[in-house]
Amino acid sequence: MSHVRQYELVYIMSPETTEQAITDLHAQVESIIARYQGEMVKTENWGRRRLAFRIGKHREGTYVLEVFTGTGELTKELDRRLKVLDSVIRHLIVRVDEDLRLAERTRARREVEVQRRIARGLPVGGRPRRSDDDGGDDDLNDRAEV
Amino acid sequence: MADERRSRSSAGSKTRGNARGGEKGAPRRGMFRRRKVCKFCTDKVDYIDYKDAKMLLPFVPERAKILPRRISGVCAMHQRKLQTAIMRARQLALLPYSTD
Repeated sequence: MSHVRQYELVYIMSPETTEQAITDLHAQVESIIARYQGEMVKTENWGRRRLAFRIGKHREGTYVLEVFTGTGELTKELDRRLKVLDSVIRHLIVRVDEDLRLAERTRARREVEVQRRIARGLPVGGRPRRSDDDGGDDDLNDRAEV
Repeated sequence: MADERRSRSSAGSKTRGNARGGEKGAPRRGMFRRRKVCKFCTDKVDYIDYKDAKMLLPFVPERAKILPRRISGVCAMHQRKLQTAIMRARQLALLPYSTD
């Protein structure tokens, strides 16, 4: 049994593709996700954007972001399908659940720390202490050794 | 024996330090370097998003190379995360690999 994880898929479609083709591909992606018991979380169309460099002969592309949950097999299938399509000039699937969980945990920990500081009456958002006396100390030690 | 060795090693390190100081010609006091702090730590950024090209842009100056930590002052943890974010953004043509 493989684990269910959250992934982000971004694909870039060539600028010639029609709105219809974009929605078609989106529906196709959705159906693949559904077939593998995945779940759609969010979808975003960033629209036409300039590429930072040429991909093939393209200088622009339509970006689409899909956030979904599913298994590794699902990403494999999506990857295979997107590779085949000529209208998709670039795509990337990134696993995000671990990073988001980690971010959430650090955020929660910080919140707890802030609460604790308030409870103790300490200043919140402690500024790192300056340590510019270090150099002077070292010099004194050196002199003492000699 | 041990004392002798220790004193020698300390003397060696000191001369090296002096040589470096002389090279730069920096006054010993009065000059202070501003301590660089990690931008992500101060802003309390937990997740560096590869999709946010605008946010990543200051870390890939003119030649589109990743800005080293010694210049930007980003802490080690955030530099690692920044690195993966920049590499992902490059794959999606959100950031350039190089410029000429």
